[in-house]
Amino acid sequence: MKSEVKVGDNRLQITRIFNAPRSLVFAFWKDPERLQQWWGCKDTTKVDCFMDFRVGGSFTFVMQITGAGEFSYKGQYDGIIEPEKIAYHADFGGTTTRVVMEFFDQGAQTKMVLNQVGFPAQNICQMVSQGTTESFDKLDSLVSTQALVGQS
Amino acid sequence: MVDKRKALTAVFAALADPTRRRILECLAGQGERRVTELARPFRITLPAISRHLRVLEHARLIRRRRRGRTHFIRVNAAGMTGAQKWISRYAAFWDSRFDDLDKLLDIAQQKEKPR
Repeated sequence: MKSEVKVGDNRLQITRIFNAPRSLVFAFWKDPERLQQWWGCKDTTKVDCFMDFRVGGSFTFVMQITGAGEFSYKGQYDGIIEPEKIAYHADFGGTTTRVVMEFFDQGAQTKMVLNQVGFPAQNICQMVSQGTTESFDKLDSLVSTQALVGQS
Repeated sequence: MVDKRKALTAVFAALADPTRRRILECLAGQGERRVTELARPFRITLPAISRHLRVLEHARLIRRRRRGRTHFIRVNAAGMTGAQKWISRYAAFWDSRFDDLDKLLDIAQQKEKPR
């Protein structure tokens, strides 16, 4: 795993270095046409992002998931400081997830720190596709053999 | 599968409240504590603490032992493991998204290079 991970009682912190300048990394979060190229799980074939990228603006993601069909969810931007910070919350079947991302300028690189609080007891893919159960079991054994903090 | 989901939902609901997280912190490494003793640092009523303890118990994050009218509470270490494993899955999910983002960032920068 390239990300550095810290798992708490009810929060997750991920730190990742991208080999790109901060403005470009931020653009891949801000621009729906760019975001939909990498959003969604492995079984997602297509993502449509409808975003009002401003504080208080809403977003909707519509995903096409192999073997299961269409799944969509909504959220709202709680804070945006371009190109340093994005905070949003999203709703998944009764649970609200809150995510805050900070982007640090490191010249040709960008350090991103993501904090997530609130974890639906169903992953998006598991909610709609039974076929992914197997892949999550594989993922589970992979995750449990790695250290939770530190890079592999 | 549904039972596991219910159990996880109960755990995350229990952990969402800051008072309940502090209760768990107080219990960590302490063995057993009486409910009345546990309630002391929290400036809320005993019935309110009891409500929090019931939520934690339902989520199997604590265990309760009764001796007459005295209730003893201890942490249930196994209860937290499931939640942490689940959170780790989210870490793996993000990490694979960022792997894809890495590739797109490479491509985007290749396009900008002068020939």
